[in-house]
Amino acid sequence: MIEFQNVTRSFGRKVAVNGLTLAVDPGELFALLGPNGAGKTTTIKMLTGLLRPSSGSVSVCGCDLVKDQRDATRAIGYVPEEPFLYDKLSGREFLEFAGQMRGLDGPKLRECIARESDFFEMDDFLDDLAETYSHGMRQRLVFASALLHDPPVLVIDEPMIGLDPRSVREVKDRLRTQANSGTIVFMSTHTLAIAEEIADRIGIMDHGRLRFLGTQHELRDAVKSSHTSLEGLFLEMTNGHAAKGEAGAEQEARSESNRSADRSPPVANDP
Amino acid sequence: MSQNASTSDFLPAPAEGRVFALMRRRLLSTALAQTFSRARFRATLAVLLTAILWGGMFWMFHDGFQFLRDTNREIYADVVHGLFGAFLLTLMLMLIVSAGIILYGSLFRSREVGFLLTLPARTERVFLHKFQEALVLSSWGFVLLASPMLIAYGVVAQAPWYYYVLLLPLVVAFIYIPVAIGGILCLLVVRLVRDNPLAVLIGIGLLFAAASAWIGWGLWSGPQNDLLTPAWFQEVLSRLRIADQRLLPSWWLTQGVLDAADPEMLADATLFMTLLISNALFFRLVALWTAAGVYRPAYSGLRGRAYRRKRSHGAGFDRLLEWLMRPVPVPVRILVLKDLRLFRRDPLQWSQVLIFVGFLLVYFWTIPRFNYDAAAIGTYIGWVNMVSFLNVSVVGLLLSTFTTRFVYPVISLEGRRFWVLGLTGVRRQTILWAKFFFAAAGTLAPCSILVLISDLTLQVLWEVLLIHQLTSLVLCAGLAGISVGLGAWLPNLREESPARIAAGFGGTLTLVLSTLYILCVVVLMALPTHFHLAAQNATLSRYSAAWPNVQWWLTFWWIAGTAGSLLLGVAATVIPLRMGFRAFCRQEF
Repeated sequence: MIEFQNVTRSFGRKVAVNGLTLAVDPGELFALLGPNGAGKTTTIKMLTGLLRPSSGSVSVCGCDLVKDQRDATRAIGYVPEEPFLYDKLSGREFLEFAGQMRGLDGPKLRECIARESDFFEMDDFLDDLAETYSHGMRQRLVFASALLHDPPVLVIDEPMIGLDPRSVREVKDRLRTQANSGTIVFMSTHTLAIAEEIADRIGIMDHGRLRFLGTQHELRDAVKSSHTSLEGLFLEMTNGHAAKGEAGAEQEARSESNRSADRSPPVANDP
Repeated sequence: MSQNASTSDFLPAPAEGRVFALMRRRLLSTALAQTFSRARFRATLAVLLTAILWGGMFWMFHDGFQFLRDTNREIYADVVHGLFGAFLLTLMLMLIVSAGIILYGSLFRSREVGFLLTLPARTERVFLHKFQEALVLSSWGFVLLASPMLIAYGVVAQAPWYYYVLLLPLVVAFIYIPVAIGGILCLLVVRLVRDNPLAVLIGIGLLFAAASAWIGWGLWSGPQNDLLTPAWFQEVLSRLRIADQRLLPSWWLTQGVLDAADPEMLADATLFMTLLISNALFFRLVALWTAAGVYRPAYSGLRGRAYRRKRSHGAGFDRLLEWLMRPVPVPVRILVLKDLRLFRRDPLQWSQVLIFVGFLLVYFWTIPRFNYDAAAIGTYIGWVNMVSFLNVSVVGLLLSTFTTRFVYPVISLEGRRFWVLGLTGVRRQTILWAKFFFAAAGTLAPCSILVLISDLTLQVLWEVLLIHQLTSLVLCAGLAGISVGLGAWLPNLREESPARIAAGFGGTLTLVLSTLYILCVVVLMALPTHFHLAAQNATLSRYSAAWPNVQWWLTFWWIAGTAGSLLLGVAATVIPLRMGFRAFCRQEF
């Protein structure tokens, strides 16, 4: 399980994530939506141990990301928005490094690499140096690296950037399959359609606060009751704050929170 | 995998180390294989030129040690001890600063650590990985400089074979200590200083610079007459005691090297080697403990620094510069201003240069302490000429490190954002001309000013002052041509870090060629100038009888030398630029 307990993260006076409480269960595919600067990437960086919360706690599989950081990160496969690869290593060597760091070795490691190479169709270029890869090839390699050790938690920041339509389809199917097999999939995205298509639950963030948290069904109900599209609902939830100052945004957040309580399950409650 | 992970099946520390070592070995072997398969000529040239530079330094140190031994046999050992001590102490302070700044960049700003910190690797392992990188990056200059000196000393001292064997562990253990201290300082500063830790690191660097200046002041303050005589060496020796502190690793290395060269002192040499190694291991351990407790919170804290809007400053300066550059074509002017803004807004770029300029100014300031006998005009002219041209060389060498470190990587860094320039319609030649103009003009101003300060301090003759200004112009144009030309000829479009680009093959080649160029220009200018001026005074007039046309020949040599250095300057500017232009026009981004 992933648990955020009243997590706040500040950058000086700017509050990037404000009092986030959220739990995601095994087998769930959770999509975090929000405009630029909403706090999605900060949330994901706290979930992967790169950033520490200013207050509150984040835990993965019962391990606190600050106190038991190694245990927690071992349980996570992470696909960042701008993945890093060693240009002078081949894809296979990169996967070997990532796999060995996760405790895989020998025939087991080779088997895992073969499995992911087969799934992401990387056989043709896996032994080439990463410096020769296109963006899509790099993205596939990073996905393979994150899934190599069959992690119980998969964290993805903007999953579909750089992938061609066929790869997008395959990744979406894979994420669904992973979730169905018990993996927690936590992804952040700008693409509403992807979230709508594959996510079990959706959270919409804006100005560091969770504005909406609910299932697909609850989201559709909210869309119907507001007589608008998903896009319209998203813009209604987030645009209202964009042009306001922080004080205004705080006030808006409070009233928005009250309105949300009427039309969706309480924010930050367990599903 | 189970939903609740346990700590029992983590990769053991030695196995983790092996995984990192394998990754590093693969990276290195691929880089080497690529260098020698795709650019065999360039690699051979770089190795050859480095060997020539090394050989030149070896020859210089060898003759220096022989001179010292032959002229000051009684106090030779003490003088060498003092010189080694002062030299190594200064290098130790500089290594602490340079390692701290390099580690700040690699531990807190590189994308690689963003990846490594998401792996279940030990925090101290990630630190160690970057620490080893910093160890190599910050010490290769030290090794290039110190190895010919130490080997030359061994040859002159007729040291036994094990002297050369012991040098490696002695030097490696010594380098390890300041780099570890730099790493610990870097971690603590970033952890403890909330706002702008880089400024604090630079401040510490300035403190170390002040300490080095204090050492220099201690060495050269007070009256010093009869240069290079035993009495003068005795005087210097008493001042070198500043570095004679037995608790300093520089002292242990000095003592270890000197003992290793003495066949009867092997046990003592081994003792100092053990002392250095045990201290290196101790500081390594402290650095790892510090990293284990501090690195992650420091990394997270640095990213949680107060968010500030950064507004551009210096618009007035830009306007002034734009006005001054009115004769320059508009595209070149715009590109130069862009480069200047980028340079000015990155303190990492200019802070290290500022520290070195500070060192030089302190050195120039201490020159008057040499109270040479101005009445003995022959000695006066000889001494002043020698020191003034030496100063020009030192300023040139400083500029060559600047052009290698900052100008050479500019084209490589431009590669990733080349679409911006590519879509403007500006010709590629114009882009390179702008870089050249930026580098030449940017180095000429500080070079001329530093050389002028040196000349005014030394009270050189006005002819020499003019020659020096001409030398500055030739040096700056040539250094800019070499760095821009080679930067375009040997770009590294994959690398994002300017330090790594400069430390690569092309950067090394640029540094080696720049150094050779400086030496050639200065020698071509300095020798004939020296003899021409010396011939005009009475001390050399006695040779006039033997060589009636000596004055004419010396004047001819002076003119020919100046013309030769001018021609060399033109060649050093034009040839690399032409090569760079061709390569840059063919380059696909």
